[in-house]
Amino acid sequence: MSFGKSFGPTGTPAVIIDCGTGYTKMGYAGNTEPQFIVPSAIAVKESASVGDKAIQRLGKGVEDLDFFIGDEALSATSYSVKWPVRHGIIEDWDLMERYMEQVIFKYLRAEPEDHYFLLTEPPLNTPENREYTAEIMFESFNVPGLYIAVQAVLALAASWTSRQVGERTLTGTVIDSGDGVTHVIPVAEGYVIGSCIKHIPIAGRDITYFIQQLLREREVGIPPEQSLETAKAIKERYSYVCPDIAKEFAKYDADPSKWMKRFEGMNSITRQQFAVDVGYERFLGPEIFFHPEFSNPDFITPISEVVDTVIQNCPIDVRRGLYKNVVLSGGSTMFKDFGRKMQRDVKRVVDARLKVSEELSQGRIKPKPIDVQVITHHMQRYAVWFGGSMLASTPEFYKVCHTKADYDEYGPSICRHNPVFGTMA
Amino acid sequence: MILLEFHNRIVEETLNLRFRNAKEGNKPESIDVTVADFDGVLFHISNPENDKTKIIVSISLKFYKDLEEHGAEDLIKREYGDFMTTTEDGYSVSLLYNLETIPDDFEEIVKKAALLKRNCFASVFEKYFEFQEKGVTGTKRAVIQYRDDETMYVEAQKDRVTVIFSTVFKDDDDIVIGKLFMQEFKEGRRNYQQAPQVLFSHKEPPMELKGTDARGGDNVGYITFVLFPRHTGAAVRDNTINLIHTLRDYLHYHIKCSKAYIHSRMRAKCSDFLKVLNRARPDQQKEKKTITGKTFKMN
Repeated sequence: MSFGKSFGPTGTPAVIIDCGTGYTKMGYAGNTEPQFIVPSAIAVKESASVGDKAIQRLGKGVEDLDFFIGDEALSATSYSVKWPVRHGIIEDWDLMERYMEQVIFKYLRAEPEDHYFLLTEPPLNTPENREYTAEIMFESFNVPGLYIAVQAVLALAASWTSRQVGERTLTGTVIDSGDGVTHVIPVAEGYVIGSCIKHIPIAGRDITYFIQQLLREREVGIPPEQSLETAKAIKERYSYVCPDIAKEFAKYDADPSKWMKRFEGMNSITRQQFAVDVGYERFLGPEIFFHPEFSNPDFITPISEVVDTVIQNCPIDVRRGLYKNVVLSGGSTMFKDFGRKMQRDVKRVVDARLKVSEELSQGRIKPKPIDVQVITHHMQRYAVWFGGSMLASTPEFYKVCHTKADYDEYGPSICRHNPVFGTMA
Repeated sequence: MILLEFHNRIVEETLNLRFRNAKEGNKPESIDVTVADFDGVLFHISNPENDKTKIIVSISLKFYKDLEEHGAEDLIKREYGDFMTTTEDGYSVSLLYNLETIPDDFEEIVKKAALLKRNCFASVFEKYFEFQEKGVTGTKRAVIQYRDDETMYVEAQKDRVTVIFSTVFKDDDDIVIGKLFMQEFKEGRRNYQQAPQVLFSHKEPPMELKGTDARGGDNVGYITFVLFPRHTGAAVRDNTINLIHTLRDYLHYHIKCSKAYIHSRMRAKCSDFLKVLNRARPDQQKEKKTITGKTFKMN
């Protein structure tokens, strides 16, 4: 897969930075994968004495340069580790500004005055936050141009690489599932329908916990301090989504040797090998998306039903478009056949509804069938970053960017609105 | 981080990953990555003619022609030897790595590949350091147009090598911070006798460049380093080159960090003032009541 590489007025590729709660994905436009994926963590020196943290941090001398980000932050000793992004929204701007220093100068090695920047924001980010971002980028780093894109829209753009997609549209439902939480976000023509977004408290971490619990009940060989990482490895390596649990159980029982896997790990302390049987948890783990009652007694709505409710809440004239283009994004949507089961389940709900309305009209109205399509593609894991990389390598990107001249003329408020683009390309 | 790193992390990590993958006997994957570095440098890592077992690393420097005049090619040949290959179209230097014949200790090779930009730069410094060591005088001044509107001059004399950078500040604030920063450089020299002499001139090019086309202007600054044999000797030469070739980016990095620091101070002060303002809000006059609900009026 390749796309034209457009370098814009500065003769350099644009920089794409996707700051998530857990990880920051960064790299140059035109590439298919981000160059770095590092934890969004920053390690700073902090004294234990009481008082205002913001003032204490100022220090004197070059203390403001004494910090680490990413993996280096997590392994730094005698520093305190901070996570400036919470629930996708930047909370600590001081730390974020310093975080960006190293992202740009140490990791990407980009002279910010030479590159256009594309940053991402979660849906429902406040306009004020966009202004703060613009202040940091334009005033501290003197970037020539900046565009702040909504993550869900980029995820939609990333799905254009899939063969299933006939036309490039920015209307669709994005299911974004990372480590902490899953969002279902309806997007109409590049604009997020904010009032209809729903969150599901089930994501990658919950699947890991669930698998860990299943293993704990059955396997004895796993060292307790390694049980979480074992569960995570099993989830990533062996899990898949099955069409029917009852049949899947029967299949396993009929021929265990074919379906059961064996996971081998090493005890990090004693350096001894241990082996674990991997059985039903292969398909039971991801199943909690479709049967949340397995793991969470408080939340029992299956994901397919949530998707249907979200679309039903949306304005009636976009619903068909939303059903037709359900796009997956994030690492926890990578399970094999996840999209297929999703499509089947949503279709079932929709068809049932159409049938009811046909019966209610006693056969006088014959509703036009609704096309449900769930789109899976190769770039799902970094869908947001990839969408950004793709859009920022089009010449159109440089036309919609806010430039430094505009910023100096009108002030940070220009970054409150970022025009939609890309559908015509 | 006070000093910038000299190698390119992306090149290093990408190659390390591929080489390790090859060593472990996994199937090679195709690769096509274009990344930038400081000073408008571009790296392109790809497979030549879709042959996945080979990786070609190309660098493009806009000013490679200038460097070539000072023996960049010989230096690259010396450093990379057999890895050099026919240069890819639109790039300045290309290195070719065959995944099937990579030695086990590939870390060294990768490290070197990541230093490609530094090594391109090094040629001009090595040449002039050599001149100075041998006492060759009367050589022409080297002029490297390392960015579109910024130039570097290197000149050798019997007892010193002078390196002059011109740099353009995009923002008015940058000029002020840059000036202060360079002044600190001068001040710092008092405590460190062995440090090279640093001069900073703003708006006007320094005397050495009188009569050249070096331009002045409100947003132009010139940094002059005077390097003595202490700095150009064979033992410390590499370190000097490492440091001096990143100087321009180092200066701009620190200007940006200073601004970030000032912003933190502003935020801290702002929340401080807000606290004071909130304290100053007058209390609402509330009528006090007894337990039975009666009120007293004081006149």
